[in-house]
Amino acid sequence: MGEVKQSIEVTNGGKKRRVGKNKGKMAKKKQRMMPQGAENRMKVDKRMRKLFQKRAREYNSDEEGEYEQLQQSALSTGVAKFKKSDDEFEGGFSDNSEEENQRIEEYEVSEDEDGGIQPGITKFTEGIKAFKLAFKKVVKKSGGDEEVLGPVLSAHKKLLAEKLAEEEEEKKVKGEAKKEKHLIGEKGHVKPENYLDAHEKFLLSVATKGVVKLFNAVNKAQTAQKGLNPSRSKDEKVIKKRTKEAFFSELGKTSSQSAGTGTVVKVGTSNGSVDGETPAWAPLRDNYMLTNPKLKDWDKMQDADDADDFGGNGQVKILVGRRNLERQYRAME
Amino acid sequence: MARFRNKKRKAFVKPIIRKQPNVDHVTGDKIPKSFVFSRGKLPGVLRQLQMDLRKLMLPFTALNLKEKRRNNLKDFLNVAGPMGVTHFLILSKTETAPYLRVARTPQGPTLTFKIHEYSLAADIAQSQLRPRCPKDLFNNPPLIVLSGFGTGEQHLKLTTIMFQNIFPAIDINTVKLSSCQRIVLLNYNKDTKLIDFRHYSIRLQPVGVSRRIRKFVQNHQVPDLRNLQDVSDFVTKAGYGSESEVDDEAATVSLPVDLGRVNRASNKSAVKLQEVGPRMTLQLIKVEEGLCSGGVIFSEFGNVSSGNKKTNEEEQQKDEEEDEQEDKDEDEQENNEEGEDEDEKEDNEDD
Repeated sequence: MGEVKQSIEVTNGGKKRRVGKNKGKMAKKKQRMMPQGAENRMKVDKRMRKLFQKRAREYNSDEEGEYEQLQQSALSTGVAKFKKSDDEFEGGFSDNSEEENQRIEEYEVSEDEDGGIQPGITKFTEGIKAFKLAFKKVVKKSGGDEEVLGPVLSAHKKLLAEKLAEEEEEKKVKGEAKKEKHLIGEKGHVKPENYLDAHEKFLLSVATKGVVKLFNAVNKAQTAQKGLNPSRSKDEKVIKKRTKEAFFSELGKTSSQSAGTGTVVKVGTSNGSVDGETPAWAPLRDNYMLTNPKLKDWDKMQDADDADDFGGNGQVKILVGRRNLERQYRAME
Repeated sequence: MARFRNKKRKAFVKPIIRKQPNVDHVTGDKIPKSFVFSRGKLPGVLRQLQMDLRKLMLPFTALNLKEKRRNNLKDFLNVAGPMGVTHFLILSKTETAPYLRVARTPQGPTLTFKIHEYSLAADIAQSQLRPRCPKDLFNNPPLIVLSGFGTGEQHLKLTTIMFQNIFPAIDINTVKLSSCQRIVLLNYNKDTKLIDFRHYSIRLQPVGVSRRIRKFVQNHQVPDLRNLQDVSDFVTKAGYGSESEVDDEAATVSLPVDLGRVNRASNKSAVKLQEVGPRMTLQLIKVEEGLCSGGVIFSEFGNVSSGNKKTNEEEQQKDEEEDEQEDKDEDEQENNEEGEDEDEKEDNEDD
């Protein structure tokens, strides 16, 4: 009997590994088959039983060689599954009587002889009891960690475990590489704190100062302008005068009349009058970068009014937006 | 038989292009426009930073600029001409750090900044209890405040000019204060030679009005008076006021015109800034004459052929002393750049 089993294992070798791969499928099949058998138990009638008994008797009397032949054919059918389970629990099951084992094989063969699986048969012989026991054992076994690792019914557990471990290692390496790449990508990326630290507060105050300066300047310029309505002839004159001044100053001349116009001019609302005092250093002029994209000699120019352009009060020197604005503001003061 | 129409196919609708003016209609100045794009493949975070920068540069920038791998600088330059784009902001990345190049088109100069640290707008919004983003925040260009750049060094002056011209100029006679919604701050730290780049939104609040009343006027909602004995309590009862609510005298302005429902010209208003992001810490590394090419006018690490050679060399020595604490990678890079610069020096001497 033992010999037979050996041969089966060998022949099954290739197949089993495949079984291990689609383990989920197998498990499902197994589950499906068991309840089916239980259902059909009641359906077996007396005549069928007699027939099966007769066949069983026949096979008992069969010779060994014939038996093996049948076994080979059995492997190709779904019956082989039972066989495998048999192999699996072999270790724990060794104290079972040989007779029982034989019976299991008997009914398997009998099934095959019929040319199909007849679920009723499995319940019939006493072998089913053994099978039940074995299956229970297998199910119980699958509780531990090591058993869960591979498929429940697999002879090559070690091999499987190795494979899984290898896979895991590969995954680890891959994950590390990915993490490293991510870290490189994230370089310099800082999540800000929830609170404002001293540096941020300082920056905020600088920005606020700048905004306040600008708003005040705008306020001063625009409130002075407020009374003037271009539709009124009187205001129109003032506005005209200013544009005239602007024109003159753009020409590089300061009109002598502008001094006499009084408060309106002092406020310095006209854009042109500011442009009149263009700095000698070209890059500080408003239109420098926009009109002259070539910046070849930007560092060779003399910067005469460098000192007074940035003002001397305090360490934090603020250049609000535009240069002319800054200058205007100072002019207003 | 009538066939089913392919649902994917849409009738062609000519896109409505609002043509942006090249010239400001009030002041007559040329409006600077910009492209923000990247060279090389960027990781996701930096792509987000690029998007944040585009938003910051609104409205005179291409928000949905599509770039392909095979696009080179010349392609962008060719497009820039007819579209009136004056500035490029180019993000790139190396093993050591991300870099930002700010260039004027078409002929340069180019400023190269190393981004030491950065936070995205999303990070900043996440760190805030109540992030603020009104709808019209990005409709107008930001103001720019440059602080600490007046040390007299030439490359800093160039930086100042570059950043001042990157946004359209304001004419204080005609500007509407309601269009001043955002501010970009560049603060130069003399000691560390780092530039702090911040982006804030500006909010105005009336001074001397209790929080309750302000909210009542702003929100158009019926206030909850359940806990009050009398209607007058709503006005007289002092609400809780936090330290930050106490108005700073320095941060108050008076407005020339009314701004919204709450900020009246007759009243004083307090200026409140809230950070929008992105936030960057930049270091000026190199100034090139051309657009990402040409002679090196200034280099943080090596030296150049310009007149202030000596001063720069002194700086360099100082730098090296400072940099010794820094990691090796940077040193390597410095050496590389020094090597390049030396080459250039030789070239210049040959000339």
